[in-house]
Amino acid sequence: MMMLVIGGASCGKSAYAEEAARKGPVPRYYLAAMRPYGEKGLRRVERHRALRAGKGFETIERYTDLASLTLPPPDTDGSGIKEKRGTVLLECVGNLTANEMFDEEGNMSDPADRVVRGVAHLKDLCRLLVVVTNNVGSDGVEYAESTRAYISSLGKINAALAAAADTVVEVVAGIPVLLKGELPV
Amino acid sequence: MVLILGGLGAGKREFARLLGYEDSEMSGDPFDAAPVAVRPEEIFRRRPEEAADPSAPSTDADALFAALSAKKAVISCEVGSGVVPLSAAEHTFREETGRLQVRLAKEADCVVRVIAGIPAVIKGEMPCTRS
Repeated sequence: MMMLVIGGASCGKSAYAEEAARKGPVPRYYLAAMRPYGEKGLRRVERHRALRAGKGFETIERYTDLASLTLPPPDTDGSGIKEKRGTVLLECVGNLTANEMFDEEGNMSDPADRVVRGVAHLKDLCRLLVVVTNNVGSDGVEYAESTRAYISSLGKINAALAAAADTVVEVVAGIPVLLKGELPV
Repeated sequence: MVLILGGLGAGKREFARLLGYEDSEMSGDPFDAAPVAVRPEEIFRRRPEEAADPSAPSTDADALFAALSAKKAVISCEVGSGVVPLSAAEHTFREETGRLQVRLAKEADCVVRVIAGIPAVIKGEMPCTRS
């Protein structure tokens, strides 16, 4: 089961996705794709970790190459675990796409295949995959070429992930709007 | 006329292809004979150049609206979901685009908003194929 949660900046998509993932089977993993830049970034990551503390997620930081990811065994005694891990919450495809598209030297390559294959691999690893992605490209701003390419790639990736997902939800001002499939009960 | 809205890269043209339109039938020039107009609002960005070049297409909003009303489908980019632009030209572009889309949506038999490749009908009935 895969759910894609899409929305603009600070629309409440993370909170909604976390809520949905918390209802998923254990063990639960939070896959963080945001590469922390500088002290501010690190503080942000710490804050997010604190927010999730005690909510039953094991945090894994992974900035690229999801296709070769393996999930570590859970901290719990292992009950309820069969061949697959329980729930994975991936946040967020906007970051992952940027990480796959621009390497540390600033070289650019097409990220779509790596991102889509990586998410497909995650889907195979777990029972419930909740993927958070960003809705960009609706601001009418004329960006530089590399940013335009990023917006276009993320759009294609979002469409491919939506096609692979069982459920697609757009979050608008904290309200989940169902675009595909059924909302989990 | 079917109005197809969505962000940049959201899958608007792909949806038009699903309706049966060929790429060769989609045109960025709203005043030509192509049945599908693609991002006609881009014409609003050309104002300064147009003043210098009288042979450039008209950006008169009424003429543009009239031309688009005669199309089978209009693909237009949602542009209003960012912060208010500082530059007057960008600001005007967003405003003119937004107003044009409201007029087109009123005129359209069907309005489809595409997000992440998923077409959501927000007015009328989903067209199964090209009209």
